[in-house]
Amino acid sequence: MMRGILGLLLRALVVLTGTALATFTLLWNAPGDAATTIAMARFDTLLSDVVVAQVRAELGLDAGFWPAFNSWIVPLLSGDFGNSSVTGRPVWPDLVSAISYTIPTALAGLAIGLALAIPLAILATRHPGSWSDRFAVGIASLGAAIPAYWLGLLLILLFAVKLAWLPAMGARTPAHVILPALTLGLGVAAALTRIIRSGILEARRQPFLPAFRRRGVSDRDLARAHVAPHAATPVITVLGLELAFLLEGIVMVEVIFSRPGLGSFLVTAIGARDFPKVQAVVVVTALLFVVINLAIDVIYRLIDPRTGTQDA
Amino acid sequence: MRSVALLACAFVTLAVLGPVLAPYDPAAINIPARLSPPGGQWHLGTDALGRDTLSRLLHGARWSLGLAFGISLIGLLIGTCVGLAAALGGKALDWTLMRMTDSFLAFPELVAAVVIAGILGGGINSLILALSLTSWMRYARVARGVGLSLKSRGYVVQARLAGLSPIAIARWHYLSSLAPSLIVVWTGMFARAILGISALGFLGFGVQPPMSEWGAMLLDARVHMRAAPLQMIWPGIAVVLCVLAINLAGDALRDALAQKDIEE
Repeated sequence: MMRGILGLLLRALVVLTGTALATFTLLWNAPGDAATTIAMARFDTLLSDVVVAQVRAELGLDAGFWPAFNSWIVPLLSGDFGNSSVTGRPVWPDLVSAISYTIPTALAGLAIGLALAIPLAILATRHPGSWSDRFAVGIASLGAAIPAYWLGLLLILLFAVKLAWLPAMGARTPAHVILPALTLGLGVAAALTRIIRSGILEARRQPFLPAFRRRGVSDRDLARAHVAPHAATPVITVLGLELAFLLEGIVMVEVIFSRPGLGSFLVTAIGARDFPKVQAVVVVTALLFVVINLAIDVIYRLIDPRTGTQDA
Repeated sequence: MRSVALLACAFVTLAVLGPVLAPYDPAAINIPARLSPPGGQWHLGTDALGRDTLSRLLHGARWSLGLAFGISLIGLLIGTCVGLAAALGGKALDWTLMRMTDSFLAFPELVAAVVIAGILGGGINSLILALSLTSWMRYARVARGVGLSLKSRGYVVQARLAGLSPIAIARWHYLSSLAPSLIVVWTGMFARAILGISALGFLGFGVQPPMSEWGAMLLDARVHMRAAPLQMIWPGIAVVLCVLAINLAGDALRDALAQKDIEE
């Protein structure tokens, strides 16, 4: 067990290093001269070569790939994300503020997704193959094909423009979280419904269920004590994938609804070529991803001792 | 299976003939006719510069469908090579390639594509690079899994003992067994590529104006949401119909192939 977890940790470390290196290589090879772009973003005028040279020296851009990589990664290991190359202010406080907008959206979206997907999946599996099953699967397939940004625009059109019930742009009041969370949640629900549905169907095929039923265990107790836990296992597995879906959705949703979260932070930073900020978002996302997947793997091995005996 | 074939024909027709079918020049600006409602001369209305929306949608099909097709094929090629190399190339290579795959998977694909396309600057080349680089991992996992399970099969062992080179074995024995699973993965990735292209277009990091692309059309229409809401509806419907059709075709293919497995 301990050996397995150590292996997972080592793997997580390798993955994180790989991601950091890949990001830095990409930014290092970005087209255009970084020092000129940053100098223009800072001073917003026609620049002399002297200013550009100063910026280049200040940011360590003239030192070559590995020294520059080191001067980024070494402070990072002690939690220092460096300064924005445009404003010169530390990246970390801005990043924390962005994350504080993203987390409520993500959690609300996930909650809405689960609240829709579980009843829909139960409805679908009550009579497999019936019209209610087809209806639920049809809704889920349609939902999976609707891109988050279009769904968000449609919701704005309906609830903010036509009906004027809900605010759409910005994040001033708690009500501003409703439409973004709904956009995310509908997407999550579409993906989860099919997974939960096949999880329940799979769980119902377990050979010990007829045996219990013949011994007089009621269908309700069976569903609660045996079908539900069995159906939950694949859902835990795909939570990692769902997280990816959530993060992708968040980037689009925050841009559409002008929410100052992690996604807007990333898109703005890319537009301004503020590389320290881009690097910070990438590192935080990868870290979050790796930690959650690690947790899922560990939980999985604790719940189900069958997994993890042979390394995949 | 017939519906799948029909669908494939419809998409090829749309992507190839789209520009021919378009009634107007998609870039012809006509300011007096800006934001016209659908009907009459313009079947789906016009955008903020008076350009015909139907023509722009038909021209956009080439980007959304054609580019997505190409990108998903590039991903298929990279992924299959990486997966088979990992399965056949010994333990060290397997470990390296699979950790590399994990690193790429350790990041939401679309976010990675946004970062890559955004940093490299908008345009078709960076779009293709960004979406291909972030779409090969699933193929690699599937190819490696099938490859590992085939490795110890009798006929593969015999082929090796008979002196066939690993490349010949990969070509004759692995690819034929891999094809069904890879095709199913491919339909999913084709749909994802369509979504990816339009998402990047919507963020302004994709196909650049004046070329019409569905995501970029949405971005333009968003500003005029109040005046001409329908202009925002059409490109979205186009994306949803394509993705839905491809996903359903993928499901049908998967079921048909699973059926074949049972019969065998």
